[in-house]
Amino acid sequence: MKWLPQDVETYSAAKEYVDTAVVPLYSITIGKGVKQSAAASEFITLLTNYLERQFTGRILLFPPFTYLGNEQDEKVLTDLKKWEESILDAGFKHVFYVTSDFEWRSREGELNGTLIWLPAIPLEQMNDTQKLTMIDSQVQQLLTIFTQKWQKSD
Amino acid sequence: MSKDRVSRRQFLSYTLTGVGGFMAAGMLMPMVRFAVDPVLKAEAAGDFVATKQKVADLTNEPVRVDFSYKQKDAWYESDVTESAWVYKDDAGKIMALSPVCKHLGCTVNWNSDKEHPEQFFCPCHYGRYTKDGTNIPGTPPLAPLDVYPYKEKDGYLYLGKAKPRKEA
Repeated sequence: MKWLPQDVETYSAAKEYVDTAVVPLYSITIGKGVKQSAAASEFITLLTNYLERQFTGRILLFPPFTYLGNEQDEKVLTDLKKWEESILDAGFKHVFYVTSDFEWRSREGELNGTLIWLPAIPLEQMNDTQKLTMIDSQVQQLLTIFTQKWQKSD
Repeated sequence: MSKDRVSRRQFLSYTLTGVGGFMAAGMLMPMVRFAVDPVLKAEAAGDFVATKQKVADLTNEPVRVDFSYKQKDAWYESDVTESAWVYKDDAGKIMALSPVCKHLGCTVNWNSDKEHPEQFFCPCHYGRYTKDGTNIPGTPPLAPLDVYPYKEKDGYLYLGKAKPRKEA
């Protein structure tokens, strides 16, 4: 389910079935590196939307957690931990973070949720069919991460 | 001058009937056209979308067919991609099933659960459907998978809007 009124309504009605939160993490860089930052956001947006299509009934796709790329410090981590806390308090059992910001890999241990880090693939040169095929193959690999995690807890 | 003279009264009543009839027709014609319009429209081609799937290549094993069409969402026009599971049933008739689980809308896969082969399987809450899309009792879904109306044109498969079926 997406962060849209009608989807959130369905979520509220079927809370016991929707136990997984997906939070995209966007690193924003202004100035030098602005293009890479935008390309990474495009990639993560397409990827998480496609992922949401596969698992509509069990995940709630949150709006992206956005922070300044050169500010990867304690404050960002504390903020994300606050998100995590409220998400878990709301009854979600699993939290997944999807990002292409490398910095998070060293911080993975400090979060309860699962971090999925993917190197951003520049999509601007591709046409729609290529994009779809590429995102599809990436998501197929992610699906097992989710199903395994679910099977362990069910 | 002819013998049957038209009286003033007759002349006026003829004229009034003529003009009145003309005006009534002018009002009624568009109304009738509006009323009949939906009927006439249904006979037109409908919203079938072309896929890349050749009808001749279909077997009795379901294959995933992706197709996309343009959707207008407020002022934003976007390409929407949908999928269908398509196969030929025992009688050779084409079956195009929507992959959207009737429980909460996840995407179902064919033959992906090892314990229950030859079934559609939803990984979210382990819903299952038989090959013809009927939901298996005891699993979360409460209705069979939607069916796409289909058409064959120049050897390619065209799919319409998925329609729900009655409960099994």
